[in-house]
Amino acid sequence: MQWQTDWGLRARMGITMFLLAALYLVFIGVLTLYFESLLLVVVMMGLFSFAQLFFSDKLALRSMGAREVSEDEYPDLHRAVSRLSQQADLPKPTVAVADMDVPNAFATGRSQKNATVAVTSGIMETLTQEELEGVLAHELAHIKNRDVMVMTIASFLSTIAFIIVRWGWLFGGGRDRRGGGVAVAIAISLVVWVVSFILIRTLSRYREFAADRGGALITGRPSALANALLKIDGRMDKIPEKDMRDQAEMNAFFIIPIKSGFIGKIARTHPSTEKRVERLRAIEQELERS
Amino acid sequence: MGLLDGLKAVLGMRAEADATRDADPDDLFGMSTAYVTMQADLGYEPTGDAALCFSAVDSTDFEDAVDDVATILEAGQVETGTQASFVQDDHGYDWVVLEDQNVEDLVTSIHFAADTLVESGFGSRLLAALFGFQKTNTPVYWVYSFRRGAYYPFAPTGSHERDNSAEFKLESVLDGELDLEANKEYWYPMWPDTPGTHPWE
Repeated sequence: MQWQTDWGLRARMGITMFLLAALYLVFIGVLTLYFESLLLVVVMMGLFSFAQLFFSDKLALRSMGAREVSEDEYPDLHRAVSRLSQQADLPKPTVAVADMDVPNAFATGRSQKNATVAVTSGIMETLTQEELEGVLAHELAHIKNRDVMVMTIASFLSTIAFIIVRWGWLFGGGRDRRGGGVAVAIAISLVVWVVSFILIRTLSRYREFAADRGGALITGRPSALANALLKIDGRMDKIPEKDMRDQAEMNAFFIIPIKSGFIGKIARTHPSTEKRVERLRAIEQELERS
Repeated sequence: MGLLDGLKAVLGMRAEADATRDADPDDLFGMSTAYVTMQADLGYEPTGDAALCFSAVDSTDFEDAVDDVATILEAGQVETGTQASFVQDDHGYDWVVLEDQNVEDLVTSIHFAADTLVESGFGSRLLAALFGFQKTNTPVYWVYSFRRGAYYPFAPTGSHERDNSAEFKLESVLDGELDLEANKEYWYPMWPDTPGTHPWE
């Protein structure tokens, strides 16, 4: 039998990244016209992004209250991660657990060697072993696809655009020089920020689909992940989230994002559970048809 | 990591590609001579056990492929006398367990079983082949990773601990004779469900 590649998903992902890169190139071009001191800003932001990439795993774990756990504490979890890594051809990542009732899981780390997979105690209680493996495989697929790195780079200039929108007037210099120019640059930055925001979120959703596919093929059981998603999705609505709002920035790395009041369809970091389950069902059919 | 792997990762296809990449059974046969060195130089006797570990796929085709493996091993038993049995461990992984005092027959049977799965298109589901050895009742295993196409030693002691010095010795002496996994991050342990038994028991 042959595994089918989802070329449509690839193409859409490629186009999104191409548009984002094109947008950023134009943005850089425009900025160099208006700001001389901008180079400094970009370099500083570059360093900031670099640092973020290096410490993101620790920060993410800390903000979730997750701690690394040993093999003696969670032998089953460790063994599941170990076997799935073996199948995915990945060095075994660090395993962490967050003591939290909300069922969730996430992966962090800039590279395969610095990766951590974290699960909440809630998800271990909610899911069966098979479903949990489906979720873990999804997270391993994120590591394999280097999603933290890709999304950090993709968001870099968007962050700069946001900073210019917010603080751009400080760079204006004397009003005799390019006072009007700064206003234009801020307006452009605003447009870049809005458009890049939409593109980044679109990219994020495509990468979730890709990780679902990867995860399903690692376990060989698309149904396990589908059941897990449905179960978690049902639970997420029932469990109160008061203290979870602080962790909005973590949403992008969760298996299912926490719903916070208003998230437009466009701003979603994850596709809807129905759509994900639908695609997993398609993979299940593919495995049977061959 | 090569450029192509990087590109695959950026396009989000690396996980899928690596999870479905075919098995690499080419270097498995190293064991059919290496066991002599294990006996002669290191004093490790073959236990007469070998096992093939694979993860199932939720599909009827896969069940058929596993049935084919069983048929082939049954047919082979007449010729080589290798006993085959199928077991599932506590974590839902499938094993083909083979028993034969002749290590060369074990290697051949493992290869047959693996090849049958590869031929049916399920090579990517093969995780590892294990060959058991022992010295004064301390077991060690040579694990062949089908994902990496290389061997590594595994010496479990007690519960979830590895005898690193024994593994180091095996690695040093058998280097060159077996294709060894150079990156120790890929030396995945295969713990038994209960300490003191084989990983497949």
